[in-house]
Amino acid sequence: MSSEKREVTLTIDGREVTAIEGEMLHDAARKGDVEIPVFCYEPKLGAPVGACRMCLVEVEGIPKLQTSCSTPVRDGMVVHTRTDQVKKAQNAVVEFLLVNHPLDCPVCDKGGECPLQDVTQGWGPGKSRVIDEKRHFEKPIELSPLVAIDRERCILCYRCVRFSQEVSEDAQLQLLDRGDRTYVGTFDDRPYVSPFHGNITDLCPVGALTNYTYRFRARPWDIEQAGSVCTLCPSQCNVSFTVRDEKVKRVIVRDNPGVDDGWICDRGRYGFEMFGAAERVTEPRLKGGDKVSYEDAIARAAKGLAARDGKVAALVGDASNEEGFLVGEIVRGALHSPHLDSRPAAGPGIDTILGLARPELQAAVPDIDEADVILVLGTDPMQSSPILDLRIRKAIRRNGARLVVATERPTALDGGAEAIARFAPGQAAHFVGELTAAIGGAENVATPLAESLRDASKVVVVWGERLGPAATAELLNFVDAFDTKNAGTDVDGPKTQDGLEFSAHQHVGLLEVPEVANARGLREAGVLPDAGPGLAALALNGHGTEEIREALIDGSLDGLILVGVDPLRDFADTARWEEALNAASFIVAFSTFTTATAAKADVLFPLETHAEKDGTVTHPDGRLQRVRPAAGRPGDIRPGWQTLSQLSLALGHDTGITSQPTAFAALTAAVPFYASITDKSIGGRGIRWQETESAANLPNSATDAGAASADTQRVSASDEAVPVAGALALGTYRDLWAGPITELNPPLKFLKPSQRLELSPEDAARLSLDSGDTVRVTQGDKSLEATVAIRERVPEGVCFLAEGIAGANANSLLNGHQVSVQIEKLSEVPA
Amino acid sequence: MPHALETRVLLDKAEDPRLATLQGYKDLVGGYATLEKAYKSMEQDEVLKELEDSGLRGRGGAGFSMGKKASFLPRGDMNKYLCCNADESEPGAFKDRELMQRNPHQLVEGIAIAALAADAGHAFIFIRGEYDSQADTLDAAVAEAYEAGYLGKDILGTHRDLELVVHRGAGAYICGEETALLDALEGKRGNPRLKPPFPAVQGLYGGPTLINNVETLSNVPRIVANGAEWFRQYGTEQSPGTKVVSISGGVRRPGNYEISLGLPTRDLIYELAGGPLPGRTVKAIYPGGSSSPVLKASEAMDLPYSFEAMAEAGSMLGSGSVIVADDRVSIPHMALRTARFYHHESCGKCTPCREGTNWTVKMLERVVRGEATPMDLDIISSVQENIMGKCLCVLGDSMAMPVSAMVRKFRGEFEAVMAEAAEGIDPHTIIDASPEALEAALEATS
Repeated sequence: MSSEKREVTLTIDGREVTAIEGEMLHDAARKGDVEIPVFCYEPKLGAPVGACRMCLVEVEGIPKLQTSCSTPVRDGMVVHTRTDQVKKAQNAVVEFLLVNHPLDCPVCDKGGECPLQDVTQGWGPGKSRVIDEKRHFEKPIELSPLVAIDRERCILCYRCVRFSQEVSEDAQLQLLDRGDRTYVGTFDDRPYVSPFHGNITDLCPVGALTNYTYRFRARPWDIEQAGSVCTLCPSQCNVSFTVRDEKVKRVIVRDNPGVDDGWICDRGRYGFEMFGAAERVTEPRLKGGDKVSYEDAIARAAKGLAARDGKVAALVGDASNEEGFLVGEIVRGALHSPHLDSRPAAGPGIDTILGLARPELQAAVPDIDEADVILVLGTDPMQSSPILDLRIRKAIRRNGARLVVATERPTALDGGAEAIARFAPGQAAHFVGELTAAIGGAENVATPLAESLRDASKVVVVWGERLGPAATAELLNFVDAFDTKNAGTDVDGPKTQDGLEFSAHQHVGLLEVPEVANARGLREAGVLPDAGPGLAALALNGHGTEEIREALIDGSLDGLILVGVDPLRDFADTARWEEALNAASFIVAFSTFTTATAAKADVLFPLETHAEKDGTVTHPDGRLQRVRPAAGRPGDIRPGWQTLSQLSLALGHDTGITSQPTAFAALTAAVPFYASITDKSIGGRGIRWQETESAANLPNSATDAGAASADTQRVSASDEAVPVAGALALGTYRDLWAGPITELNPPLKFLKPSQRLELSPEDAARLSLDSGDTVRVTQGDKSLEATVAIRERVPEGVCFLAEGIAGANANSLLNGHQVSVQIEKLSEVPA
Repeated sequence: MPHALETRVLLDKAEDPRLATLQGYKDLVGGYATLEKAYKSMEQDEVLKELEDSGLRGRGGAGFSMGKKASFLPRGDMNKYLCCNADESEPGAFKDRELMQRNPHQLVEGIAIAALAADAGHAFIFIRGEYDSQADTLDAAVAEAYEAGYLGKDILGTHRDLELVVHRGAGAYICGEETALLDALEGKRGNPRLKPPFPAVQGLYGGPTLINNVETLSNVPRIVANGAEWFRQYGTEQSPGTKVVSISGGVRRPGNYEISLGLPTRDLIYELAGGPLPGRTVKAIYPGGSSSPVLKASEAMDLPYSFEAMAEAGSMLGSGSVIVADDRVSIPHMALRTARFYHHESCGKCTPCREGTNWTVKMLERVVRGEATPMDLDIISSVQENIMGKCLCVLGDSMAMPVSAMVRKFRGEFEAVMAEAAEGIDPHTIIDASPEALEAALEATS
């Protein structure tokens, strides 16, 4: 892949336009402010198809009109887009498109924001000569429970079908029949099921594909669009909220190539009705549910916390950078306690975090596009950061990237991988060690992966926080394995025949898929037990998440602040957390919804959703993005920064924060590598701190302890995984659809997952289990019920359960160590 | 016995059923000797040069130089393909059927030699699904050729390989469009692809691909055997060689006739096909299949039947299929019949063809129902103009060209039909061309 792109100059409608060689005429014309109408063309969907014929233009020297969407620019090209010949063709195509279009604009949801309307107005003949009957279909019908299809309005532009085939690669949407009888549908009229399928409603240039969540809810002239960031997962896709009467009515994409490439998943798109759910906490409450004023609540919280000075800990999850920073101020500054964390389980030490945060090791999302090899390590992007799944698919399909996957559980990307390794739950650190050794030439289980990685000049590693602290630390050695080789060949001077294989400069970039949406921002804002804002070393380190839990139980800690976390659902070892929360004598919680955890709070404050919040978040690749308030806050909800700032003040610690800008200023002052970032530089697209002058302010790792400690931890990790006879090692995963998203959004309820026990065909046969059987899964004195799902790609000896499923949460079986489970058949699937 | 005006080259000895077997092909016409010569003693460039020098033009419709097309394929070590287009589906065309049925080995040998010119290791014959028995014949011929070592690995010990597969289409006219053929062959929906890239550069499975018609490839063995000069003794300067012409419609002896290109059209229709049915006169012809602009009899008869003469007359030779409409044929109904075919076969991918064919049919239906006005004829003409040159492939033009020619040349008849239909008169004539009816008619006149 050559990055050198030659510029060419061409003339479009008399204007001189400079474009990049090979660029399509349509895109080049835009640079000269010449708009050429299109329907089918959408570069995000891959190669042009030239189907709609709307973009025909005249190119001097070519007798026939050319489709500008598929004509690459050449130097000296002379193009006309408004000659009589072109106008005639444009009129003709618009007229043809309307031959079968019902023109029911007054009752069509697309009316007012419809490309077909716009093009008809701008380039159409202005009158119709069609008096013949139009084609008819039953309409509207369910393409899926979320999307309605009106086939009469469809102009067969191919966009939705190409999305399904070339972007989400589910290949469910097809064109059926032919000629003017062609229609978009699925095999056997089955519902279109894909976690990305809502994107087709954004792509549709007419009102043929509409969201059931938005049909007849608003018209374009009584809505406002408000750009923000979706913080439902670490992808942090840029979105635009459609707001009517202060309420979110729709979520659509806001294309940011650096983040989401113009796609969002269905979680982000349809997960907005929960903003107004009855379960929403809309005002401060006391234990038992009594509503109190903010002033009263803050006073009570301050009193309770102050009484436990030095014995208070905080756990932060769904929060902005500013909120995280303020929690740090409260805990460390006002309550003189070092105990706070933003991770659901034990995480790597600060030296590892600093080592991995080095800008030269950091892959940005667009680096995936240019990777030779992508290593997906210990995460399934489809479940944890869906938009990365699409990005990786794109790199493979369009840019010829190769993929290798190393995970516990089969991933959605396995089909496109040239090498796959499965390591047993709990063996991640051991596996990364083996992989490091294999890159260095050792023969072991990771050798096939190493073979793929060894000759790649650009490697992007998409790795999951769930690898655990030991494996994460081991990543530093893994990266060094590449560096060593470079040192050996690059210094060589003239390349020898022998050195050719490795002579190209290798670059390895890491991209984390963390457990919570703003994990990176919270860590960098100082919500860590062993680092303050800016990942600065502390005089006194505090407890991490699991130690906080134990300290609450043994009484050495007494008070607890919870911001946007639900340990009873999301953290491992539910029973132990229950015990810890009961042991805490005073809990202040900030929560969006009423949860079992929130019910235990002595003082409960509401939390804003990402449609209401004003603040910054940091993408896993270091991009600071601004979450902007789009909708009104229901009830009596105040901004999180305000409540936290007032709480700090009530505790006698004045942060000086009186507004979102002052909160942001305090954050950037405290985090040296955010220093040069301003609200303006964040703008609408965000800015990666690594690309600012402040990047040099990242603290150096004090020791090489990160890498060194990995070895010791690796040994302990492999020690831990001693299989228990007759039992299956349990692995758990976060299901995309588990949790409030499907419980509190009525349109998504049909996707609510039930607990499935995934196991290999071999183990299923040994245990006489069939897919669909109900089983009891037992670990020690805890158990849950699940339905058996046999999966070919699950290795023998292992089974998987999903976390966060209400009533059968895999977290309840976990205890912080690798566990094995016993399986007992309860009932067979009816034949 | 062939007619004296015929020039039998491709159909030489075609009446002998033994020709369809490998032994018969060898015995009767010296088959596979050219393959042996080419594989054993010729280089790619020599074969290419012979084909280019011969001036052989594609027999599938476009009439592009076959040698030149083959020369467009890039050189180098990569997977290249040769596809034989046997998806003969145009109304009026039935010459490939006869060529495959009577002399399948001529095609197999032609493919094997053309594969040398294209440096292709894999070849496919994409045959329309309805040509069931012809596909069986080809399967048998291909099996025999493999058996005899003319196909497969290390052909005749020359270290050259060629795999040949007969693939049956599922019955769509559009799959005769070369890029739609490639998509269909790859197992996709048979839709034309955007060009460029042309198949010669990026065709089947993304590899350089040469696509030629059955008749084109059937010409290859003799050209390589006898040389370009021999081939050029037939036909005209710009249309060298012989051509199998399918004649159908209102003639006494419809069928396939192999002629030296340039034969007067009058001889083709009156001598070879026996002229119009008794008591009838020729009104118009499609000179090159249902997609060619119709010519009035007065325009057509004195033209030499060649690519250049037909183009000059504003029509085309196409696949070489002459459909004769006699004086009892209603041109508006013929226009509707033609439009219906293309409406039915439009793939629907591009707007002008999808909507234009559909709209044209609806308007022509109104014409023959008497529910149209002369203004509608203007709209019909304008719609054909809006289709032409604006589609993704030539299917849209294939309807627009004949329909627009009919409206232009027979406008009076359209107006008369509209007026009559409005009064309830049905002018539609069905030609009864069954052998019994013909015989009876002939007896009546003699």
